[in-house]
Amino acid sequence: MSLRQKYREIVAKLMTPGAIGMAVLLGSAAPGAASQEPAGQQPSSAQGERVSERLAAIREAVSAVAGAQDATTDAAGETRLAWGNWGGGFGFGLPWGNFGGGGPWNNWNNWRNGWHNWHNGWGNW
Amino acid sequence: MPRIQLLVVQPTPFCNIDCRYCYLPDRTNKAVVAEATLTNLFSQVFASGWVRDGVTIVWHAGEPMVLPIDFYRRAFRLIDGLKPADLSLTHSFQTNGTLIDDAWCEFFAAEQISVGVSIDGPQPLHDINRRTRSGNGTFVRTIAGIRRLRRHGVPFHVISVLSPESLAAPREMFEFYVDEGIERVCFNVEESEGGHVSRSFGEAGIADSYYRFLREFWRLAAASPDKFAFIREIDEATQQVLRPEEAVFFNQLVEPFAITSMDWAGNLATFSPELLGLKNAAYDNFIIGNINRDRLIDLPQQPVLKKMLADITAGVELCRQHCEYFSVCGGGEPVNKLAENGTFVSADTTYCRMSKMRATDLVLDLLDGVEQRGAVLSEEGIRQLGAVVIASDSNDAAVPFA
Repeated sequence: MSLRQKYREIVAKLMTPGAIGMAVLLGSAAPGAASQEPAGQQPSSAQGERVSERLAAIREAVSAVAGAQDATTDAAGETRLAWGNWGGGFGFGLPWGNFGGGGPWNNWNNWRNGWHNWHNGWGNW
Repeated sequence: MPRIQLLVVQPTPFCNIDCRYCYLPDRTNKAVVAEATLTNLFSQVFASGWVRDGVTIVWHAGEPMVLPIDFYRRAFRLIDGLKPADLSLTHSFQTNGTLIDDAWCEFFAAEQISVGVSIDGPQPLHDINRRTRSGNGTFVRTIAGIRRLRRHGVPFHVISVLSPESLAAPREMFEFYVDEGIERVCFNVEESEGGHVSRSFGEAGIADSYYRFLREFWRLAAASPDKFAFIREIDEATQQVLRPEEAVFFNQLVEPFAITSMDWAGNLATFSPELLGLKNAAYDNFIIGNINRDRLIDLPQQPVLKKMLADITAGVELCRQHCEYFSVCGGGEPVNKLAENGTFVSADTTYCRMSKMRATDLVLDLLDGVEQRGAVLSEEGIRQLGAVVIASDSNDAAVPFA
C-alpha cells in the first residue's frame, strides 16, 4: 500500500463524524506503560520512509478526506462539516482554521505561555 | 509591514522567588516601568498600523504580581484610552501564583485576564527547582493560589517545566492535574538559555525520555478526555502533523516584530522573547531600540536588527535544507540555537530534538499504531471513546478498534 493510501485510510477513520478530538483518538492507540520499548530504541524516524515524506502524505490525506466530507455533506443538504467543527486535540473546538489565518501561537515554542489568540478561557473568543 | 501579534511587557524585572533554572539575570532589580514609557509604547504601537487582527499583551517579568493591582488598573485604562475602538486586545499574566489572593482573583475576573500559573507538578517535583531565595519550596503557596483561582471561577492554565525527575513520572503528573482540577496544561522543557545550563540537556537519552513521558501522559489523558480542555504539546503536535496541506504555516519566532518585547526601561527586542535581558556584545544585548528614545516605525532599519535577521534567516535556511521536521517547526527558536550552538546560523538543537522532533515522532507512531493495532477503527467505538476507562497498566480495553 502506498504511503498516501495508507494515511488516507487512517485519516478517514480519525475523522469519523461525531468523533471527539483526534488527539484523544490517537492517545488511545498509545501502548501502555507496561509495554515500553527498550531504552534507546529509536522511534519512528528510523522506520524507513523519510519523515518529510510521511508528513506530506498525511497532509495530503487530511485535505483529501476533508474535501470529500465537505462535498458529501453539502450534497446531502446537511450541516457542512467544516474544519472548524473539528477538534484537533483535547481542546475541543480548536479550529483548523487557525492555520489559514497565519497567526496562531502554536509555534511559539518553549517560552510559549499557552495563550492562544482564539481562546483565553473566558468564552469570548 | 511588520505585524505585531504578541506584545510582552515587563512591568518589573523583580521576582519574589528564585527558581534554580531561571535564566533572567536581573531578577533582584525592583525597578518599575513608568507610565510615560507605557504611553510611548502603546501610542506608537497603535499608530504604527502593525497591529491589525488583534493583539495579546503578556505581562511577564520577573513576577508581575509583585506590583499592586492599582498599577494594572491604571495601565489598563491608559491602554484603553489609546487603543482603537475596534481593536481586539487581551491581557495575560504569567505568574508563579504565590501572591494570588481574593482581590487578584476579582481583578482577573473583572478584566477577563488570561492567567498562566507556573507549577511543576506535585510538591516533591515542584519544589526541586521552584524555591524562595532562602531555599524553601514554593509549592504550598502556588497551589493555594491555584485553588483560589478555581474557587473564583477564573480560567487559567499551568506551565510545568519538566525536570529529569518529572519526565520519569508521567502518571504522578497526570494524577496531580486531575486531583487539582487543572484542565489546561503546557509542558516546557528545561532549556539552556543565557547563563543557565540545562540539567536535563546533560542527561543521556533525554529526548527519548520526553517521548516516553508525552506518550504515557497522552495515553492517560485519552482515557479521561473530560479531564483536560487543553494539553498544549499534544494538541499542537497533532495539529501540526494532521493539518491540511494548504494550511498556512508561520513561525513567529523568526519574524521581526511578530513577538515584540519591552523591558521596564523601554528597551525593545523581538524574535525569541527570552532574548530581552540577555547579554551579548555581538548583537548589542539584542536591544533594537528604546521606546522612550526611538520611533517604533524606524526600528526595522536598525543595524542590529538587520544583523540578527540576516543570521536568523540563514539559520532557518539551514533547517529548511537539512531537517526532516522543518514543516512542523519552521526553523526553530533562535534563542536555543544561540545558547546551544553558539550562533543563530545553525540548525538543530537538543531543545528541538525534544520538543519538536520527538513530539512529531510520537504522532507519527500513533498514526501507525492505529493501523497496526487492528487496522480498522470502529466508528461506534470512536463515538464511545469518551466513556471508556483504561485499566491502569494496560490500554487494550480502551482502544476503540473493531
